[in-house]
Amino acid sequence: MIPLSNYLIVGAILFVLGMIGFLTRRNLILMFLSAEMMLQGVAINLVAFSRHHGNLHGQVFTLFIITVAACESAIALALILMLYRQRQSLDVSLWQDLREPGQEPALDLDEPPPSIEEKLADPKLIPAGIEPARPREDSYD
Amino acid sequence: MIDNPNILVWLIPALPLVSAVITALLGSRVLKSYSHVPTVAAAAGSCVLSVLLLLGLALLDGQQSLQLKIDGFKWFSTHVLPGDAPLRFGALDIRFNLQVDSLTAVMLIAITFVGTFIAVFSSGYMHGDPGYPRFFAIMSLFLFSMTGLVLADNFLVLYAFWEGVGLCSYLLVVFWFQKPSAAAAARKAFLVTRLGDAGMILGIMLLWARFGNSLDFDTVFGQAALAGESSVLTLACLLLFCGAVGKSAQFPLHVWLPDAMEGPTPASALIHAATMVTAGVYLVARCSRLFALSPTAQLVVACIGGVTALLGALIALTQTDLKRVLAYSTISQLGYMFLGLGAGLIKDKLIVFAVAAAIFHLFTHAFFKALLFLSAGSVMHGMGHVIDMRRLGGLRKVMPITHWSFLCGAVALAGLIPFSGFWSKDEILEAVLQAGEHSDAHNTVYLVLFATALITAALTAFYTFRAYFKTFWGELRIPDEAYHHGHSTPHDHAEPNDHQANDDRQKSFESPSSMTLPLVVLAIGALFVGLIFEGATHWMGDFLAKSAVFVQFHGYTPEHGFDWLMFGLSMLCAAGGVGLAAWMYLVKPGIADTVASALKPAYNLSLNRFWFDEIYALLIVAPLTLFATVCRLFDSIVDGIVDLVGLLPRQLARGLQPIQNGLVQFYALVTVVFVAAFVIVFALWIRQ
Repeated sequence: MIPLSNYLIVGAILFVLGMIGFLTRRNLILMFLSAEMMLQGVAINLVAFSRHHGNLHGQVFTLFIITVAACESAIALALILMLYRQRQSLDVSLWQDLREPGQEPALDLDEPPPSIEEKLADPKLIPAGIEPARPREDSYD
Repeated sequence: MIDNPNILVWLIPALPLVSAVITALLGSRVLKSYSHVPTVAAAAGSCVLSVLLLLGLALLDGQQSLQLKIDGFKWFSTHVLPGDAPLRFGALDIRFNLQVDSLTAVMLIAITFVGTFIAVFSSGYMHGDPGYPRFFAIMSLFLFSMTGLVLADNFLVLYAFWEGVGLCSYLLVVFWFQKPSAAAAARKAFLVTRLGDAGMILGIMLLWARFGNSLDFDTVFGQAALAGESSVLTLACLLLFCGAVGKSAQFPLHVWLPDAMEGPTPASALIHAATMVTAGVYLVARCSRLFALSPTAQLVVACIGGVTALLGALIALTQTDLKRVLAYSTISQLGYMFLGLGAGLIKDKLIVFAVAAAIFHLFTHAFFKALLFLSAGSVMHGMGHVIDMRRLGGLRKVMPITHWSFLCGAVALAGLIPFSGFWSKDEILEAVLQAGEHSDAHNTVYLVLFATALITAALTAFYTFRAYFKTFWGELRIPDEAYHHGHSTPHDHAEPNDHQANDDRQKSFESPSSMTLPLVVLAIGALFVGLIFEGATHWMGDFLAKSAVFVQFHGYTPEHGFDWLMFGLSMLCAAGGVGLAAWMYLVKPGIADTVASALKPAYNLSLNRFWFDEIYALLIVAPLTLFATVCRLFDSIVDGIVDLVGLLPRQLARGLQPIQNGLVQFYALVTVVFVAAFVIVFALWIRQ
């Protein structure tokens, strides 16, 4: 019988890994994945306690978490796609202009800004299938 | 004759009202350059009805009092609340009724007849103006208000229409609202007349409170007659007279009328010469039964009238603007009317003759002053809106019809026999002289006033003919604007055939027939209306004496024959004035400047209008401006305190602003740190 504390340790490790990833990564998709990882850590905790107490409460919660995470990932990916189209980049620090007026922007002096070539080399999302007809002004290109 | 007089009388104000509504709604989209049609039609219709009404009244039996009461509808009423509260005032029940007596009928004729021809004149004068429909809508509204004013049978309805004509006056003075001077003049006119109106409404309230809790003329007059002379009555009369002073531009509230000449000339002719400014005279005449009970009020009316008559005439002597000369002349003539009204009490008996003389002068004045204004308008129309007499001259050759009509108006105003001004002025002089001879207490005052009136008559003849000679005689002087402004409006530049006009400097500048026709009609009226209605027949005096105002008060008409001494004095003054003007401006044109430089202080006094505007600016406007500045200062202090309170949260927020730096990771870090701190503290707290 594996003791409860082992499960909890694995859950905590997953959660902290996700948190560190969220705090240190600037790529929107990676930040999103890190957040998902934090959720999985919590889910492991809940399942472990469910088994420990011998009831199904924790498992029910976990099912809900998985459902919500699925919806949330759909929305999050759509948002990320929109953000990418605005800036042609997934770097979250490019959205600093949402700060309060009068604040200096934080510049990352260690890393030179990406060159034009790098920008152009970024992967472009290729529309799948035939692009639906839509009014011109709705297009972002 | 009057089978159903009710409909007939209601139609007199209703026609202009309908026309005003039609013109206002359809004018700029449908009627366009035909906007004058409803107004002219309505004015002409009202005029025909007024004539029918007058004939109907005149054909009634002479012995009965001539008064038609037409029951209208209830306007509003208030009731005394039940209970034991010591309510001093009773219920107020205002009905919108009309009444017609000979006084009303005469006023209606003057308003609608002159109004009709001024409307026709305006269709030519205002042609092409962008505000053409607006002008006629206001004109119709004015005719509605003015006819309603003279038809009202209680004080409140009269007051409502009184304000209505004030509004129309404001709207017409400010007609060319792009001009700052017009806007200022309209504001001044409105505020100054408002000053008088405030007194008037107080007077009406006083009458209501003290005399029968009613505002109907008959009830108030009857109750006042029962109560007899009292200081309250005198006060009420003086307060009513306040309104008349404001509206009729009497000293000391006369300053608005000359400025009101900024409006279009037909509006000046109708409102600021012929009709609206005479509303004050009508009010005092209508309230004769009240004023007859108060010799003090009568004396005040006469003195104000006399002072104004002289003052207006003195100022008119030196004005260089043709319209201003006429404006001061109007002030002066209105003063004459009040002088007549004020002379209407001898030995506690109302002298109908004096009041009738004032109304008769009002009637003739409406004709000849409207004619003079329209002639001046015709000059402006032909001369590219130049009205400064120093730049005009010799126009009798290029504007023959205008010249003759102005001359007709001038002889009537100067009071030369047998033209209409002579008869009415003569009657007023006679009334004042009788008051001077027979009055109990104030003989000397009335004799002084009589002398003043005679001097004024001479001055009137002089300044009228000074304006006439300077404009129409002498060498031909035509301002350049006449060639450049081919048409009516000041905004209408660049006529294509300007340069051809330059070639022929002797061409006719005469106005179109839509403008000359009213001139001719009014000229005939100005010449003969006095002779027909009074001079030869004494019809007007007898007719007015039958008015309910006078009959019910047992007023009596003294026997008056043709006073040769009076005739001689009056003619001497008028002829002297005309002769002096002819000598100074026709025979020896240089002498006027010599006289002016010889009498420098007096000349400056007159030229600067006795510095009334400057004195008022110093005594009233300056302290109020100072007060307003102090108020603004105080307001800025209060405002500053409020702003200071508002500043506090903003400054606090400024301290927190750096946290919002737009970096998502920073936000997440802060969240993590604080949640972790919270969890740790919570865990420690649980363990305790």
